[in-house]
Amino acid sequence: MSAVSELTTIDTPANTVVTGAAGWLGTGLVAALAGDGEYGRGGTIRGLIRREEGSSHLPERVELITGDVTDPASLDRLFDGLTGDIDVIHTAGIIHPVKSTNEFDAINHVGTRNVMDAARRAGARRVVHVSSNSPFGTNGARNDRFGNDEPYHPYLGYGESKKDAELAVLEAVGDGLNAVMVRPPWFYGPHQPARQTTFFTMVRNGKFPILGDGGQVRSMTYIDNLVQGIVRAELTDTKPGLGWWIADAEPYTVVEIVETVGDALRAEGFDVKPNKLKLPSLAGAVAEKIDTATQKAGRYITQFHVLGEMNKNIAVDISAARRDLGYDPQVALPEGMRNSIRWCLGQGIEL
Amino acid sequence: MTHHDCDVLVVGSGAGGATTAAILAEAGHDVLILEEGPWVEQGEVRPFSLAQMDKQYRAGGVTVALGLPSIAYTEGRCAGGGTEVNSGLYWRPPEETIERWRSRYSIQDFRTDDLLSICEEVEEELSVQKVPGEHTPSSQIMRRGADRLGWKNDEIPRWMAYPEGAGATEGTRQSMTKTYLPRAFAAGARILCEHRLDAIVRTGRRAVGAEASHDGESVTISFRDIVVCGGAIQTPAILQRAGFRHRIGRTLAVHPTVKLSARFENEVNTPDDVSVYQVKEFSPNISFGGSASHPGLVALALTDNWRDFGRAVTSWPELAIYYAAITSEGRGIVQTIPGVRDPLVTYRLTKRDRDLLGQGLARLAMVMLEADAEEVYPSFKGAPVVRNRADISTMASSFAASKASVMTVHLCSTAPMGDDEKRCATDSHGLVHGSDNVYVNDAALLPEAPGVNPQASVMAVAIRNARRYCDERAG
Repeated sequence: MSAVSELTTIDTPANTVVTGAAGWLGTGLVAALAGDGEYGRGGTIRGLIRREEGSSHLPERVELITGDVTDPASLDRLFDGLTGDIDVIHTAGIIHPVKSTNEFDAINHVGTRNVMDAARRAGARRVVHVSSNSPFGTNGARNDRFGNDEPYHPYLGYGESKKDAELAVLEAVGDGLNAVMVRPPWFYGPHQPARQTTFFTMVRNGKFPILGDGGQVRSMTYIDNLVQGIVRAELTDTKPGLGWWIADAEPYTVVEIVETVGDALRAEGFDVKPNKLKLPSLAGAVAEKIDTATQKAGRYITQFHVLGEMNKNIAVDISAARRDLGYDPQVALPEGMRNSIRWCLGQGIEL
Repeated sequence: MTHHDCDVLVVGSGAGGATTAAILAEAGHDVLILEEGPWVEQGEVRPFSLAQMDKQYRAGGVTVALGLPSIAYTEGRCAGGGTEVNSGLYWRPPEETIERWRSRYSIQDFRTDDLLSICEEVEEELSVQKVPGEHTPSSQIMRRGADRLGWKNDEIPRWMAYPEGAGATEGTRQSMTKTYLPRAFAAGARILCEHRLDAIVRTGRRAVGAEASHDGESVTISFRDIVVCGGAIQTPAILQRAGFRHRIGRTLAVHPTVKLSARFENEVNTPDDVSVYQVKEFSPNISFGGSASHPGLVALALTDNWRDFGRAVTSWPELAIYYAAITSEGRGIVQTIPGVRDPLVTYRLTKRDRDLLGQGLARLAMVMLEADAEEVYPSFKGAPVVRNRADISTMASSFAASKASVMTVHLCSTAPMGDDEKRCATDSHGLVHGSDNVYVNDAALLPEAPGVNPQASVMAVAIRNARRYCDERAG
């Protein structure tokens, strides 16, 4: 594409600061930045981790600062003593809260505001905020695709908090911060947490809940594609305040996802049972109602949330990221899922 | 009692009836047109005004298809039918739509090339063109907002004749009373305006006569063949009253729309015109366009939340109304009730339809904000005033199709054509299944809503069928 050549690339900074460094995405990201692959870079790489998080899985080169996005003082420590350009990649967030749905607002929204404030105080050169599809809700029809600029229509508590996070970023941009946003839907790949492993187990046992005809469409993002999107958003000169969908090239149907995972498991020598768990669409609607009601009461039950969401279409168009950032996803579902499964096996995780 | 005699009785004089009458008369058939509404010369009433609604629409402008939500719809009721009062925006039937109809409904001799060549004729006849001069502010708003979002938008040509270099409001609408009806008259056709068809008299498979009323008096008409072109609501009602039932009035298709009003810093309201720009970024699912924005209609559009929106009515010159239309998966039913003048119309939106209406309205609000709207007033009960993107989020979360003023102007598919008898009410050329000489030739024949303004599709199909009729029966 000719547009790619017109993009202006920025040099890597002296300092790269990553929040949520011990999280799923953060781990993959700092591993790529500190490694010697395509996205490896020099300079200081500093990561924010919470006190209770383990860090033995992170590269030694990464300087770790213990703190929390909900604690502004700890964020100032994150920038202490850095000289030269600073880029900030804000990956910290919570998807499935442990105690109460209040965590959504405290961590995703207020936490983002705190990170933006700290970045501004530290004079950051460029900030990339990792947003989500959830501020935008769901597509009304299966063949609808979210364009790059869409109205907010947040899906439940998580969506509300990620929308407020985006608004906090835009406010900071208004105050002079050079921040942009990437919006990955449902990401997958190595370093994935246990709940995603459950997904493999369900498919293996033929018990993944397919609602209705399973023709719902979902965009997904392989972690390497996401790392590429984040780095390009960081290092491509654009107007502040923009946001881009970062996902695999095309969305998948739920049936396609389940079949691909089944094939990938078989290719690794697993015995995969044919999927038998076909539920009426109504089950999804009921799960969504329960999820909505429990979230209103401040509680969060992962199973209902996931099942309620399985009935939705969340499909995005990545052409703006291709155009503005030169983003070009290299991995699609079959390869991505196979890599994820191999990673799980390599970690000694039982599927 | 008055009696008329003719070869072919054409019921209705809109996009279907007027073209049918012209083609048949020019082929030598003795054509009589029966029109329920009056003959109104253009310029006699102001376009898109309440006076026009009163005079040229059925039931003073608004009729309702019952359902959750109910859908308000409008039908032209005058010589020339909907072509006299609609937005005048011309869209050829999309090629993929033609192909889908052909295969899904087994429509014979329904060739894309033939239809498109008829479209070319129609474009010539109606002088279909873009605005040579300046656009109205409401057109500029739609274009500006969509351009800033990078959303595909286009000026839609219209059937208008303009003086050289004229602006959008200076054209003359090339409606049926200016085009195909004069052609029909020149070839000997006659028209009876303000004549309502009461009954079709049948002997088995044949219709042998019609009974009508005019100014309280009875009129009888005898004919060889009858072509019903009363539009998607009246055509099935007429057929049902004549005892035809098979697939008649069972599959009403519409493009449901939701609306909003937007207030700008300067005067933008053009009472007698609508935006000629449409946004097709999300087509065929969702399209955006401009609605008639006469002050009375502005007031109507603000009534959904009058407590918060009412104050805006005094600044109506700064307001314009826009719609988001969807292609619907739902279908409706047109059912006559003995002893009742108008049929009962019901329509059911599917969940997808309701979701798309919400998504469409939110996206439309984005276009308005990007075009520098100061405030946006969405047309649904309890809607918030929208001033920024965070407000759109509040709006999207409180939207439900059941609270919205859903309306439509594109009605079709109540007597679908095709050789697939299980799905269709008429054969591939409009002859009603189970009849020897009763034809349909209007929007009722389109098997689905076409996803674009349908008048060109209606005219192309009607001309095709009329020519086929002439090939089979010498005048």
